[in-house]
Amino acid sequence: MLHEFPACLPWLRDLLRSGLQLLAGGLLLGSCQLIEYSPNQAYVPVRERGQTARNLQLLGAATGTDTVRFVFVGDTQRFYDETEAFVTSVNQQRGIDFVLVAGDLSDFGLTREFQWVNRRLAALRPPYLTVIGNHDLVGNGRAIYQHVYGPLNYTFDYAGTRFILLDTNGREDGFGGRVPDLPWLRRQLADTAGARRTVVVSHVPPTDEDFDPALVSGYTAALRADPRLVFHLSGHVHRFTAGQPFHDGVSYLTTYSLKKRRYHILTVWGARQFRLETVAYGLDK
Amino acid sequence: MASTNKLNWCLVGLLLAAPALPARAQAHPPKAPFFLTLHLAGGTGLVALGGGVRVAHERLEPEVLVGYLPRRLSGTKGLAIFTLKTTYLPWTPRFGDSRWHAAPLTLGARLTYTTGQQFFLTAASSGRYQPGYYWWSSAVRAGLLLGTRLGYQPSGGLRTALYSELSTNDLHLVSALTNRSLRLPEILTLGGGAKVR
Repeated sequence: MLHEFPACLPWLRDLLRSGLQLLAGGLLLGSCQLIEYSPNQAYVPVRERGQTARNLQLLGAATGTDTVRFVFVGDTQRFYDETEAFVTSVNQQRGIDFVLVAGDLSDFGLTREFQWVNRRLAALRPPYLTVIGNHDLVGNGRAIYQHVYGPLNYTFDYAGTRFILLDTNGREDGFGGRVPDLPWLRRQLADTAGARRTVVVSHVPPTDEDFDPALVSGYTAALRADPRLVFHLSGHVHRFTAGQPFHDGVSYLTTYSLKKRRYHILTVWGARQFRLETVAYGLDK
Repeated sequence: MASTNKLNWCLVGLLLAAPALPARAQAHPPKAPFFLTLHLAGGTGLVALGGGVRVAHERLEPEVLVGYLPRRLSGTKGLAIFTLKTTYLPWTPRFGDSRWHAAPLTLGARLTYTTGQQFFLTAASSGRYQPGYYWWSSAVRAGLLLGTRLGYQPSGGLRTALYSELSTNDLHLVSALTNRSLRLPEILTLGGGAKVR
């Protein structure tokens, strides 16, 4: 029908045509996002896969500095409004190397939840890294996390610091003595090449009843034996705690959930020096 | 684990037995009310096959579907998804004497049960948690549906209808109701298929 428009109005014709193209494209794109075979499917579009590797590539290597400064926050778990406010706040910060989310990205372990969280956290200016939480393991969550993020246990080095991130959600494994993977943890702690400091990050802290009780002593002993360890970071409890609960010189910190509208900025330098800042945001809402 | 499996099989049995109930209720149907369904996407597997019956003066369509989610999509093993679904057709205009018929708006509800050891019927039944640790069932989802359909019946032939529907499930709905920033399209899923009668 478009060719019937008066010749004096070609701009109107063009406008209509591009409008129609936009509408058709939007519908097509929209319907692609609408197509889901199961709320538990691990399949996500290519651009939403492998976020851990993607963010590590964005992080790159620190140049000419011994200091690492990162945001540390806990459970995003169905707090999407708060997650958006969090992203706005973090993007106003200067000198942040990366953001660390200490697990429970999702509430129900559903595919869409991982996508909702990733699409919001992808708006962060610094890259963000995650560790798996117990809620992320519900249903088919393990496979979904592996697709969207990557391995459950992994390490990366930045500014002379080795970050070791691992699954400590022992209850989800029925306390089978396999989670956390202590042999893997010991191997990472023993590999001292290229890093003068260590930071261990997990979702469930070893002081919690959801940590496999049979593995607490082995876990804490492995950490105690590492002279380079700065501290151990966790989420799960949705609040800030800091202390040395095993009275062995090892500091264990936990952080807020997104619901609390607070996060930490941790700065690590020198021989196990660190500073903790707390940021509150959007509390007026 | 044994008790979970028993529960699983009880549920499967219930789902499979369900279509027999409404059929018996309609003692003298005016016309064979049974239909077969081929369903694609929409949260019940890549593809689902099943059938049902038209009851309540051709207004309700209870049906049972068995869906399959292949390994490539599940990321683990292939999963079977059992669906118990009812569609309500409030308005089914016919176009004069033509062989075309339509249901511009259909409303529906469904329950799905996903098989697989990683899913629990209730958190307590898995044996890993205290009661109330996780309040929902990871195996069972309840859903709401809004759809449309168009059908054609050649003289003396089978009546075939194509339909599409948008759905959401209980947990997606809970997420949207507790967050202003989750938009409606983010919780909707598109599915569709064909029904032959």
